[in-house]
Amino acid sequence: MDFAGALSADHLKFLADGFWVTLSIAFISILLSFIIGILLGTLRYAQIPVVSRVVAIYVETIRNMPLLLIIFFTFFALPEVGIKLTVTQAAITALTVFESAMLAEIVRGGLNSIDKGQIEAARSSGLTYIQTLWHIVMPQALRRMVPPIVSQFISLLKDTSLCVIIALPEFMHNAQIIYAQNVNYIIPIFILVAFMYFIVNYALSLVARRLESRQA
Amino acid sequence: MIRFKSVNKYYGDFHVLKDINLVINKGEVVVVIGPSGSGKSTMLRCINRLETISDGELTVNGVKVNDKNTNINELRRNIGMVFQHFNLYPHKTVLENITLAPTMVLKQSKEEAEKIAMYYLEKVGIPDKANSYPSQLSGGQQQRVAIARGLAMKPEIMLFDEPTSALDPEMIGEVLDVMKALAKEGMTMVVVTHEMGFAKEVADRIIFMDQGRILEEGKPADFYANPKEERARVFLSRILNH
Ligand SMILES: Nc1ncnc2c1ncn2[C@@H]1O[C@H](COP(=O)(O)OP(=O)(O)O)[C@@H](O)[C@H]1O
Ligand SMILES: [Mg+2]
Repeated sequence: MDFAGALSADHLKFLADGFWVTLSIAFISILLSFIIGILLGTLRYAQIPVVSRVVAIYVETIRNMPLLLIIFFTFFALPEVGIKLTVTQAAITALTVFESAMLAEIVRGGLNSIDKGQIEAARSSGLTYIQTLWHIVMPQALRRMVPPIVSQFISLLKDTSLCVIIALPEFMHNAQIIYAQNVNYIIPIFILVAFMYFIVNYALSLVARRLESRQA
Repeated sequence: MIRFKSVNKYYGDFHVLKDINLVINKGEVVVVIGPSGSGKSTMLRCINRLETISDGELTVNGVKVNDKNTNINELRRNIGMVFQHFNLYPHKTVLENITLAPTMVLKQSKEEAEKIAMYYLEKVGIPDKANSYPSQLSGGQQQRVAIARGLAMKPEIMLFDEPTSALDPEMIGEVLDVMKALAKEGMTMVVVTHEMGFAKEVADRIIFMDQGRILEEGKPADFYANPKEERARVFLSRILNH
C-alpha cells in the first residue's frame, strides 16, 4: 500500500476534478428531472383520461429499467438513429430520463398526500381545478417533497458513478485511472473515494432528516 | 330554490339515493337527520355537485346542476359549504383562508376582500385571530373560520355537513350560535346535524333519511314529539338515550 504515492497532490487535484464533475452532473440532472418530474407527476395525479395513462406507462417503464441500460441506450443506441451525444450530454440525458420518472412519483405522492377535504373546500367555493392545484395543493405538496427529493439526490450522486461505463470523467472514473497505474494505490484510493461519498451523502441525509423533522 | 325531482344516485351497484323529491325554498332552514350511512352527506354534496347524480333532476335557482352547459364554478360561488372536519387550508392564515375565493373567483381586490373577511370574522367572534394559522386555533374557532370563509362569498345558500360532530362538547355551542344567528337573518340553509336544540330553535323543517330515502318530513316540534315512522322513532330514541 502506498498512501503517499496514491494521494499525491496531482492525484488529489485529478480526483477533485472528477468529484466536481460528479456533483455538477448530478445537480444539473436533478434540476432538469425536477422540472420534468413536476410536469409528469402532476399529469399523472390529475387523472386526465388518456394523458395520465400514457404518463403512467412511461414512468413505470423507466422506473423498472436498470439505469445502466438507459445510459447504454443514450450513448450507444441513439447514434444509431442519428442522435449523437457527447459523453456529458449522454450522461445528463440518461440520468434525467431515469430521475424524472423517480421524481414524478415523488411529486405524485406529494400531491396525493394533501387531504381531499381541502380540495373539496376550494372547489366548493368556486375555484377551478387549476386554481385549486396551484394555490392549495402544490404549495403544501412541494414542502413535503423536499426530503424525498434530497434522498433521491443522494442516490443520484452515487448512481452517477455508473457513467464510468461511457468514460464520463467523473469521480469513479478518475479514481480508476489512478489506481490502474499501480496496485499499491488501489486500497488508499478506494478508502478516499468511499470517504468522500460518505461525507457528502451523509451531510445531505442529515439535511433531509432536519427538513423532515421540521415538518412533522 | 333547491329542487330534487326523482333523484337517484348509485355508487356502482350500490343505490345510495333513492327517488329523492325535495323542494327547499329561499330563506328556509332545513335540518337533515338519519342514521350513519343513510345518504345525508351524499344528498347534500349533490347540491353543489361534489357528487353527481345518476338520474332525475336537480336544480338550484332553476339551473340544472348536472347539465353539461352549466358553469359549475359560477353555480358554486353562490353555495357555501361547511364540512365536518373544517377543511381549512393549513398553509394559509385565517385571513388568507377567507380571502382566497373572493379574490380568485369574485376578482375582489385584496383590500376589499380583507375588509369583508374582517367583517365576517367579527361576526363569528374571532377578529383577533385574523393572522393566526388554522393549527393555532381550537376546533370551534376553526369551524367558525370555515363559516366566515363560506359567508365571505356572499352565497345565497349555505350547506353544513355535521359541522359540530368533530368538536369537543364545550365548543359545540359557539358554532351553533353562529349558525343560529345566520338562520335568523334569513339565510337558506341545509344542515345535516343531530343537534336537536338547534333544529327546534331555527329549523323550518326536519327531513329524516334512512337507507337512501327521505322517510319523513315535518316541523321540528311535531317531528321530535311525535315521529310517524317507526324507524324515525327508533332512531330518535337512540340519539336521545346516550
Ligand atoms: N365514494 C363512495 N363510493 C362508494 N360508496 C360510498 C361513497 N361515498 C359514500 N358511500 C356510501 O354511501 C352511503 C351513504 O353515505 P353518506 O352519504 O356519507 O351517508 P351519511 O352522511 O348519511 O352518513 C354509505 O353506505 C357509504 O358507505
Ligand atoms: Mg355524512
